[in-house]
Order: sequence, then C-alpha cells, then structure tokens
Amino acid sequence: MRPYAILFLLVLAGLVVAFAPLPAHFSAPVARTFHVEASQFAYQPGEISVNPGDKVTIELVSTDVVHGLYVDGYGVSVKADPGQNATLTFVADKSGSFRLRCNVTCGAMHPFMVGKLNVGANTWLYRSLALASLGIFSVFVLARTTKME
Amino acid sequence: MKPSELLTRIVITVFNLGVVALSLALWAQTPLIHARIAEGGGWSPNVIQAKVGEPLHLKFTSDDVMHGFSVGQMEMQPVDIEPGKVSETTLTFTKPGIYTFFCTRWCGLNHWRMRGTVKVTGSETGTPEPVTPPLYVSLGLDLDKPHPVPFAPAGRPSAANGQKLAASLLNARFTTPDYYRSHAPAQLFDNLRSTGLSDSQRWDLVATVWQSNTTPAGLAEGKQLFAQNCAACHGEFGGGNGVFADDLAAAGTASMQTMNGDMAMSMQTPADFTNPQRMLGASPALLQGKILRGGMGTGMPMWGTIFTHEQIWNVIAYLYSFQFDYPK
Amino acid sequence: MSKFELTRFPLIKNLLKNRYPQLAVFVLMLAGFLFAITAGFVGTPVGSHNFSIVFVWIAWWAILILVAVPFFGRGWCAVCPIPVVGDWLQRGAVLEPAPKMSKWLNLRVPAKFRNMWMQNISFTLVALFSSVILTTPVVTSVVLAAMLFLSIGLSLVFERRAFCRYLCPVGGFIGLYAQTAPLELRVKDKNVCAHCAGKPCYNGSELGSGCPWDVFPGGLTKNTYCGLCMECLRTCPHDNIAINLRPFSADLAKPSAKLDETFKAFIMLGASLVYAYVLMGSNGSVKLVAYSVFSPAWFGYAAGFLAVIFGILPGLFWLSVKFGAIKTSSPGKQFTTAATALIPLGLMFWVAFSLSFVLTNATYIFAAISDPLGLGWNLFGTAATAWQPMLSSLVAPTQTLALVGGLAWSARTAQKSAPQAGISSVPVIVYCLAATFLMLWLLL
Repeated sequence: MRPYAILFLLVLAGLVVAFAPLPAHFSAPVARTFHVEASQFAYQPGEISVNPGDKVTIELVSTDVVHGLYVDGYGVSVKADPGQNATLTFVADKSGSFRLRCNVTCGAMHPFMVGKLNVGANTWLYRSLALASLGIFSVFVLARTTKME
Repeated sequence: MKPSELLTRIVITVFNLGVVALSLALWAQTPLIHARIAEGGGWSPNVIQAKVGEPLHLKFTSDDVMHGFSVGQMEMQPVDIEPGKVSETTLTFTKPGIYTFFCTRWCGLNHWRMRGTVKVTGSETGTPEPVTPPLYVSLGLDLDKPHPVPFAPAGRPSAANGQKLAASLLNARFTTPDYYRSHAPAQLFDNLRSTGLSDSQRWDLVATVWQSNTTPAGLAEGKQLFAQNCAACHGEFGGGNGVFADDLAAAGTASMQTMNGDMAMSMQTPADFTNPQRMLGASPALLQGKILRGGMGTGMPMWGTIFTHEQIWNVIAYLYSFQFDYPK
Repeated sequence: MSKFELTRFPLIKNLLKNRYPQLAVFVLMLAGFLFAITAGFVGTPVGSHNFSIVFVWIAWWAILILVAVPFFGRGWCAVCPIPVVGDWLQRGAVLEPAPKMSKWLNLRVPAKFRNMWMQNISFTLVALFSSVILTTPVVTSVVLAAMLFLSIGLSLVFERRAFCRYLCPVGGFIGLYAQTAPLELRVKDKNVCAHCAGKPCYNGSELGSGCPWDVFPGGLTKNTYCGLCMECLRTCPHDNIAINLRPFSADLAKPSAKLDETFKAFIMLGASLVYAYVLMGSNGSVKLVAYSVFSPAWFGYAAGFLAVIFGILPGLFWLSVKFGAIKTSSPGKQFTTAATALIPLGLMFWVAFSLSFVLTNATYIFAAISDPLGLGWNLFGTAATAWQPMLSSLVAPTQTLALVGGLAWSARTAQKSAPQAGISSVPVIVYCLAATFLMLWLLL
C-alpha cells in the first residue's frame, strides 16, 4: 500500500506543478510595434517579447524574397513582398512562448525559418524544468521504497 | 523454376517498373514553364511562341521562391507562381510582335532580370500604329548628365496654396501638358521670376501646375506601380533606401573593383526622390527616358517593354509627389 | 518479467510465417521507394511539395520515430524495401530457397567491420549534410538510390545482409533503440536449439534463408541485431520461434557494454540537441551555415557538430562516470555499461524533437499525396491544402511529457545499470537531468 500512496502523491505533485494557476502578473496592456525584417531564413529580431494583453503590431519587412509570418498558437499571419511592408495586429491574449514561422515557401530551408514570440514569462518551460526535477526525485523515492519493501 | 516463382517475378518487375515508367511518362507529358530566381537561371523556357488570335495556354511552376508572371504592356491579371505548385493562364494576342514577360513578385536583387519573350506571329488584324520616338529622344536630352539645381524650396511646396494664386498669374503656356512634360520644376520656377511673387509662392505655383497634370486615379495607379516595382530599391517613401539599397551599394563596390573604376558601368545606390536638388531639376521627359531605357548597368532596369506610356507618366506624376504637397 | 507470446494465435503466426503477406508489403514498399526516388529526380525541386521529401522525411520519419521504433523496435526493418532486391539477387529467387552453392562471392564481412562503427560513420555523414538532404529532393533521391545500390552491391559481394547489419545509417539507431521496445523475437526453449541438428534458422533450408542478419536465434538476448525478417519463424523445424510482447526496455537490464553501441547513443543524443538548436531555434545564420555545405563556415559547423557528439557529450559523461566510481574496474567497461541509461533518453529526445516538425509540417502530406511530382495534379482533391501547423497547442505539453518520461526512464535505467558498472548512479542521473534541461530549453 505504501508505495502506491507515494506514487499517488508524486503524481498529484506533478499535476500541481503542471497545471496549478500562477498568481497573475499585472501589467497595464500597451500597444507595441515591432519592425521585423525577414530574410532567407531568419527573422530579425528573432525573438520578440510582450506582456499578456498587449496589442502587438508587427511590421513585416521582406528584404530578399516574399516571406510570411505565421504566429503559432494564435493562427494569425501576414505576408510581405520586398518594398511592400505589411502589418499584422493582434492582441497577445495567450501567454507562453510561440514560434513565428514563415508561411510563404521562400527557399530550401523555408520549413525551418522560425522566430519566437514570448508573451509574458515562458512559464511552461519553468514548469517543465520543475517536472523534470520532480521526475528524478520520484525515481529516487520510488527506488528507495521498493528497496525497503 | 516453379510457375509461382516465375509469376511472382513477373508481377514484381512489371509493377515496380510500371510505377516508375508511368510517372516518368506523365512527367514528360506535362510541359511546365519553370520560374527560378535570375541567379538560378530565370525563366525556363524564356522564349514562348504564339500565334495571333490563338489562345495560348500556359502552366507555370516555381522551383524556389514566390514568383509571378505578366506580359508587358498587356491588360492582364498577373499570375502568382508558388513554389512546388502549378498555376495556369490563357492569353490571346491580337497583334504580332515580340512581347516581354516578366516576374511580378520581388525575388531578390536581380528580380528584374527575370524576363523572357513571347514571339507572336500571324497577320495584323488592324492597321499598325505609327511608331513615334519617346519625348526624351525628340528633345535631345542626355539621360546620363547630372541635373542638379543649386537652390531648393525652403518648405514643401503646396499645390493647395498655389491654387489660390493660379487663376490670375499664370501664363497659359505653362499649363499645357507639353510644357509640363518637357520642363523641370526648376525651369518653371525660373520662368515665374517675372511675376514678382515670393520664392515660396512661386514653388507653390509650380506644385499646382504639376498637380494639374495628374488625376487622382493616375496618382493612385502610379503609387501602386511604384510600390510593386520601385519601392524595393527606391524605398516605400522614395528616399532611395529600399531593402535592396545596401545590396546595390555593395554590388557597386564589387563591380567597381572588377571594372577598373568605370563608374558609368557600376551598380549605384538607388535615386533618392526626396532630394529636391535632384528631383526639381528633372523634367518628366528626362524621368520618362530613365524609366524607359533603364540605368545602363546601374541596377536600374529598363521598363520600356513592360509599362505602357500612360503607366510611366503616372509613375512620374507620383514621383513628384515626394516633393510637392498635393491636397488629398 | 512477464511475456506474452503473440505467435500463440494461429492467425498472427500464419500471417508472419507465410511468405506472401510480407512479400506483398515489400513490393508495395519498393514501388513507393522507387516512386520517391523518381519524384526526387523529376518532380519539383521544392522540398516541401515533393513526394520524396514529404514522404521520407515527414511521413516515414514520423511513423518510424514516433510509432515503429518505440513500439515495434525493428518493425520497420521487417518491411524495409531497401534490402529486398539484394536479397532476391543473392538468393537467385523471390520465393524459392537459396541454392546450396551461392552464385555470388558470398564473402564473410571482415571481423573488424562486424560492429556498429560503419553505421556510426554513415549516420554521422548523413547528419552533417542533413540540412541539404532534408530539403533538396534530388539529394534525397541520390541518398535513397545510393542506399538501394549499396545494399544490392553488398549482397552480391558478402553473405547475408551486410548493408542492413553493418552500414545502414538508420539501422544502427533502430537497433539501439529497439532494445527498449515491448516486442521481441526469441526462441521458446533454448534447449531445443542446443539439440537442433543443422540449425536451419542460421544455415537456411528449403523453407527459407538462414538468418539474413547473421544472428543465431537460439542465442538471442536482445533486439539490437534481430531484423524481425521472420525467416527463422519459417525455417525452424521445431516451432521454437516466438514473437513476444514484453515490458518496455527489457533488454536494458543486461547492458551490452560495447563501445560502438555506446557511441551510437552519444551520436543520437548529440544530433537531437544540435538539430533542436539549428532547425528549431531562431538563429537564422546558423541555418544558412548548416545549409551551405563545404563552405568555410560549414566546416566550422561540422567541426562543432562532431565536437558535440564525439567530444563534449562523451567527455562529460566520462567525467560523471569517473566521479561516481565506487569499485575500481575497467573504466571502459564502466563507461559503456553506464551509457545504457542514455538509450531511453536519446529515444525520447528524438520523439520530442520530431513532434515539433512533424506536426508543424504534416499538412504538406495532404498536398503532396495529391500532386506528388508537383505537376498540377489533384489525385485526391487535397492538392490545394494550405500549410497549417496541426495541433500546435499540444506540441509543447507532449514534448514535456516525452522528455520528462524519458528522463525518469533513463534514471531508472541508470539505477539498474550503475551497480553492474560499479559506479554510483547519481552523477549519471545528473548528466541526464542536465541534458534534459538543455533540450527543454531548446524546444520550449
């Protein structure tokens, strides 16, 4: 019975680490504009960071061929030809880290043309690191209890 | 050998070779026009044969990045050519001749080199139009001669302000399209010296005259053509600082080294249309010549076979809007 | 350790034992393989729309690393079309048994090549050029065709499947990770084998080939080199071969402690970390460098890649093992035994890495199946399917699950293998934890 109880507690702890709501970080939403240059096969800047609730405007500037910018998780996108900048505006209402991906085939490495949008802190990464540590802890604890049995 | 062994061998061979042969046969039967960036070979084929009055059905695919297809001086919807996909169009030519087709989506510094020709043969359906030389030829302008003006307006000349002075003070000669096309703004400013107006009033008047030679629709078309074809080098706001300006300058430095400093043949930074010294000394005829002929090795393409005359005049009218304030 | 014999069901056993079902799959696979090669040569040069790239590097890879290897071990090898042509030629027949005297050279592979080192080298070579191979249909076709011709050539020079066993860049890691799979081929009773005259499972008979993988089934203790080709099931005169379900990672209980396999584990671990950084990261210049093969910068990238997989990762692991040494025994043995813990870790790193690009690019499969050569066809009406990442909100949680699960699994493995190596498991577990932290940071 005891190992099962410990296992149950550890699983419970894992669920808490993964899903427990965090105290919301308050910051008044502001409008932010980013000038993002797209070239084969990168965005410059490669990462943009905003706070949850911000109104984000991305001005996409293609500097060689036609590129796009698709925000993973948000499902919004914009395309720009060189010389014809395009803007994308959306409210960053989901927090976390999201990939920006080119959605106009722009050459061989196009599928790997990625950038990053950070909305608030990357809490899922921290939760994952904690889960990894908890996983190790569980292995030690369970190994000890099974040895004692 | 058992019959089952023989049968299995036949089935395997026929099936596998059949898959390969069938796909090769279907591939060979699908002629596609391949679009590649100029450095990768441009159009393939780059010469298309057609007959007057016969529909020409074309299928395109891109082998690298987004391209587009359009035929110069022809009313048609440009065809987007996406990488790995096939797009189609059908064209019918009414006059024989050699047409230029070109890429409509910017695909790098050498985008404008992606051109080819459609050779249309057959009998003329109407009477041929007489060929007239472009204005810069009949005026005898030297397109490569610098044309700076030593002075510039203190502020941005306002066509609206000039409008108030226009009715009483203008010599009828200055308002004709012929005068507009063959004179630089600075020349009209000079010609208005006798009016006794202040410098800024005279510049306002120049702006008014320049605006009177455009229409809102023409300016809108000029703006659109500029954005699609010019802004990548000359900049969205005409400042000569488009996304390829640095690449052109770098290519210029490289070409100067290889061509023993022959400046005339080297790539240059794109013209800055916001520079008054440069723009106010240029007549529409001169700009027309530069656009028609191109920059002869400077990186400025020749547009003569692509734009119609009307389109070029509209682009020129839009270029002056980087100098003059036109009321909306 | 409980096992469940699948071949006790007559249906399963007959399906596997009968030559025709497998042959039918082989023929279909071979046709698909030849079609992929053809598509790469004549189809659109745009990788994301060419059948060869989309079906090899998205569809096949997804099935291989997310399903086949974790659950079926060498299940892929059982249906892989690459060696079948060589097999047929070597045997001189499709169905009939091989003649007593081979028509070909039938040489034995020299002893110094009878290990995983050639596979380590071939995988590393593919890995160094992966940015080009993965994105350029012609190059993918050249690689696929080269594998086909190499396997045919080696079948004619050497006995059995020399290509699969000693050269295939994929076969090496499938074998390594197959040890963790819950599926195995084993004999039911070793005594039967010991007393079996002629050993037809190894030497061949009227009923089938002697083990193409050069393994004596009676001595099988791990999945690494068993290709699940089912020949021994057909040749065994005593009905002594079984396909069993078993617990995950059963083979890891007894570490094999071979240096070639250990380095395979480091190569796979290192490659997944490098790919996560290069391909999934937001550093665009390193992508260009990885793509510009043979440029001076690419040689730098290649040197860095090699340093990670052959220097940094094994070096740090060596230090961990040294640090945790309890008993003084052969350091090499300690190193290779302790590295068993890296097998589940590496497998789950690859699962996590593959999830991100497979789900992101899965929509290309729909477009490519309708227009495999990029000629404007629309066979199934899906040619116009627009690119759109699938299930993107599930990617990060699934990756975390895979990586944390893999870490716990490798920690458990370390606890079991460390005593056999005479070291403490703690430094090895810390090493795995650090690698997992790095991978989480790169992917999330």
